[in-house]
Amino acid sequence: MHKISVKINGNAYEEEVESRLLLVHFLRDKVNLKGTHVGCDTGNCGACTVFLNGKPIKSCNMLAVQADGAELTTIEGLERDGALHPVQEAFLDKFAIQCGYCTPGMVLSALALLQSNRRPNEEEIREAIEGNICMCTGYQQIVDAVAHAADLMGQSRS
Amino acid sequence: MLNFDEIFVTRNWFGKPVRRDKDARFVRGEGSYTDDLPMDCLYAAFVRSPYPHARLGNIDTSKAAALKGVRAVVTGPEVAAATKPVGARAITRPAVQHVMATKKVRYVGEPVAIVVANDRYLVEDAAELIEVDYEPLRVVVEIDDAMKKDAPLVFDEAETNVLLHDTLTHGDIEQAFRDADFVMQEQFRVQRFSSTPLENWAMIAKYEKSTDSYTVWANDQQPGRSIVNLCNALGIPANRLRLIVPDSGGGFGIKLAIWPYMVSLCVVARKVDKPVKWIQTRREHLLAGTHTPDCILDLELAMKKDGQVLGLRMRDRQNDGSFVHTAGIYNLIKFANIVGCYNIKATQAEMMSIVTNKAPTVQNRGVGKPAMMFSLERLMHRAAVQLGMDPAEIRFRNFIQPEQMPHTTPSGEIYESGNYPECLRIALEQIGYKDLKAQQETLRKQGTYIGIGLSASIEPGTSNLGYYYTSRGTPEYMGNAEGAIVSMDYDGNINVLLGSVEEGQGHATSVSQVIADMLAITPDRVTMNQQLDSVMSPFMGHSGCYSNRFNDVEMGAVIMATKKIRDKVLKIASHRLGVPVADLRFRDGTVYSEKDAGKTLTFKEVATLAYKQVLLLPVGFEPGLKEVAFYKNDIAKLPNKTDFNVQMTHANSLHATVVEVDPATGMIRFRKYVIVHDCGRQINPGIVEGMSIGSTVHGVGTVLLEEFIYDENGQILTTSFVDYMKPLAVGLPRFEVSHMESPCTTSLLGTKAVGEGGAIGSLAAIGNAVEDALTPFGVKVTSLPITPEKVLRAIRETKVI
Repeated sequence: MHKISVKINGNAYEEEVESRLLLVHFLRDKVNLKGTHVGCDTGNCGACTVFLNGKPIKSCNMLAVQADGAELTTIEGLERDGALHPVQEAFLDKFAIQCGYCTPGMVLSALALLQSNRRPNEEEIREAIEGNICMCTGYQQIVDAVAHAADLMGQSRS
Repeated sequence: MLNFDEIFVTRNWFGKPVRRDKDARFVRGEGSYTDDLPMDCLYAAFVRSPYPHARLGNIDTSKAAALKGVRAVVTGPEVAAATKPVGARAITRPAVQHVMATKKVRYVGEPVAIVVANDRYLVEDAAELIEVDYEPLRVVVEIDDAMKKDAPLVFDEAETNVLLHDTLTHGDIEQAFRDADFVMQEQFRVQRFSSTPLENWAMIAKYEKSTDSYTVWANDQQPGRSIVNLCNALGIPANRLRLIVPDSGGGFGIKLAIWPYMVSLCVVARKVDKPVKWIQTRREHLLAGTHTPDCILDLELAMKKDGQVLGLRMRDRQNDGSFVHTAGIYNLIKFANIVGCYNIKATQAEMMSIVTNKAPTVQNRGVGKPAMMFSLERLMHRAAVQLGMDPAEIRFRNFIQPEQMPHTTPSGEIYESGNYPECLRIALEQIGYKDLKAQQETLRKQGTYIGIGLSASIEPGTSNLGYYYTSRGTPEYMGNAEGAIVSMDYDGNINVLLGSVEEGQGHATSVSQVIADMLAITPDRVTMNQQLDSVMSPFMGHSGCYSNRFNDVEMGAVIMATKKIRDKVLKIASHRLGVPVADLRFRDGTVYSEKDAGKTLTFKEVATLAYKQVLLLPVGFEPGLKEVAFYKNDIAKLPNKTDFNVQMTHANSLHATVVEVDPATGMIRFRKYVIVHDCGRQINPGIVEGMSIGSTVHGVGTVLLEEFIYDENGQILTTSFVDYMKPLAVGLPRFEVSHMESPCTTSLLGTKAVGEGGAIGSLAAIGNAVEDALTPFGVKVTSLPITPEKVLRAIRETKVI
């Protein structure tokens, strides 16, 4: 067992974990943050995407002990004062959700893009979410939602 | 179809793209899927056979049982001894199968033991300690091999690997072929694939000693039937089982038959003192979590020189793997669209359900109808080319015309409405068809090969469940029906409880739109309990999220229950206000007198009378405001072989695409993709759009990427998303979707199916486009998927994909 300290969505956690515990199971089972999902176990689907020190990573491909000392953001950390983040609003506006299982990972991948590229074109959006599989929507409304989120975030900056 | 005036008192919400705020939990990460439920559980894991066909010998569980933290180990033979076999529905040969392997294993991945331990890592350790002796048997993998005289038998008692073999003829098929000027024929092969919902199967079972009863939480797509099957297998009455279905991360049919695992989980739950959870891994899902059967479809069209199709003859062989529960269904359901959009007067279908040592199959999105439309529409394209006719023209010549609706197909399927020629006209306009041929010629000279593909298809909805038993007889289920409870609460707000579940289609939003317009309120005043609970929800044996039945029977039940509430509100208001019901109207959540604007009651005031001030109700009047209604679609016919309908609504779509094939790499790139879809009236166009595109992308995956590959020894080679490839956001075209609206005459709202159309219509559109692009190379497309490797081999050697 190993003791790890992490900051998740601004809150500090200290836990004893087995060395083989995956980060995604640490988040779900130890910290009780159920918004991060497991879809494929092999790093292909992106349902487990979270931010580690500001960068999106797939938490099923990382051990909890490797995250020791890191700052994490999960889907639960996006709201501010009860209000949805513009990316979350955009997903609702554009019908970019169906079953919702890929949504947390998609939202975080989209946010990662928009943090580095304020006005992505369609191709850039598609490339940015290439590591996230959605089985329901065929992606088009998700792509539209990310473009719409760029507009919403632009408005809130100005 | 009801007159809208009978249903709606306002038209503010029906047909509008109302945002899915009722599912805002999904963007917040607050979805409540089975693995998210806050319960203290033990974990289960299955030990699975590495052999496709073998006698099961000794199973040594001692090392696993001795591991600290292991709570129970049960073998397949022990589970089989404690449960009844799996029931068949469509097949006519005897075949006995239990929920886990007993005497032999029949596919790689078949469960042979189940282990329960304290945590999800430990239970995997324990599963690896179980030692199983196998005596390998000869293996049968492919359809042709399974039909050979000396083929090893998957089920000895069946004495054959063909568990259903029937030929149904409708219309004068002999005359049609005698009258034909020529016959178009081809053998088509469609691979094994799956729509692979992103959330794998998930379930929790809890046993309660004091009542000798079980509670199961599962992402079950068809709870109405699962309850029946689970009780039968466990040998318990229905009142000893409670099934709860939380949020489900997609279904597409792949979660329709997860109940055999629920049976095993209940057996082990009985042995421990805590709930037991099983979360399927993706590898397990791809290995044995049910597939679409691969099939060989021989199709013949009796044709006149002017392009008219007189008759259709089909020999349909499905590799149903090794699951007797669904074997045969893919054959029978094809009668729902066997003639597609065409006025074909005679059909003959020879159907064979074949068992092999491949994984179990289940009704995946479209269920056999994608393969049906792929074959028919490929052959229509081929016929046009042979006749030197435009592929659009041959379709115009054969379409059932709008004025011929309703149209009954030779086997008895009733197409209630539709304007197929207009759909094609719109699609041709949208894709710029006029100029495409010239463009194609110019580009070919420059070494760029583009192809144009059209596909007209029928997307049937709401299954008449009697069709399963067409060949077998003695139907256990028929027709289709659903239940709903609608209540008005103390505040005059509405709550709905449906008998069914959803897999992400936004039912709560659609229901709220319809009820809002039925009661002159806003959708935010309507809530729906989205968790099915069998002790509370008004379910039927049919209940489940499949065959696009929501818009028809589920909505029907909601409408009927809401009408009861509305009638009761009117009676209470009439009594209280002293105004005849005929003079009462609804506005903004109030009831008022048309003749005296001062006489008005809010819904809250009506609810106060109904729930609290009951002495102010008429004498003998039943208090409360909670109504249940069950609704069935009466168009369903009793199952028989001569005149039957498989499904009860018939949407249609026209897919048109332009692809570019690179002869150097075999890669296929979309240049344009147009969908013209007619699902009758739309409840919520935002949701309809997503379903149209989403299901089309399933078709794109089927055509270009996905395949469960087995080697000749019966080993499956594709058990992760690294080698079983799914469509990604990159590589897809921007789909241009248009809608026609031919209201359905047999569903209350005039709505039809929308969830499967793309998966049905896209296969042939892309297949036709690829063959058209490769015309200079003389390459024919007869099988799926069309991978770069197959394209290259066809160009260089075989000339056939």
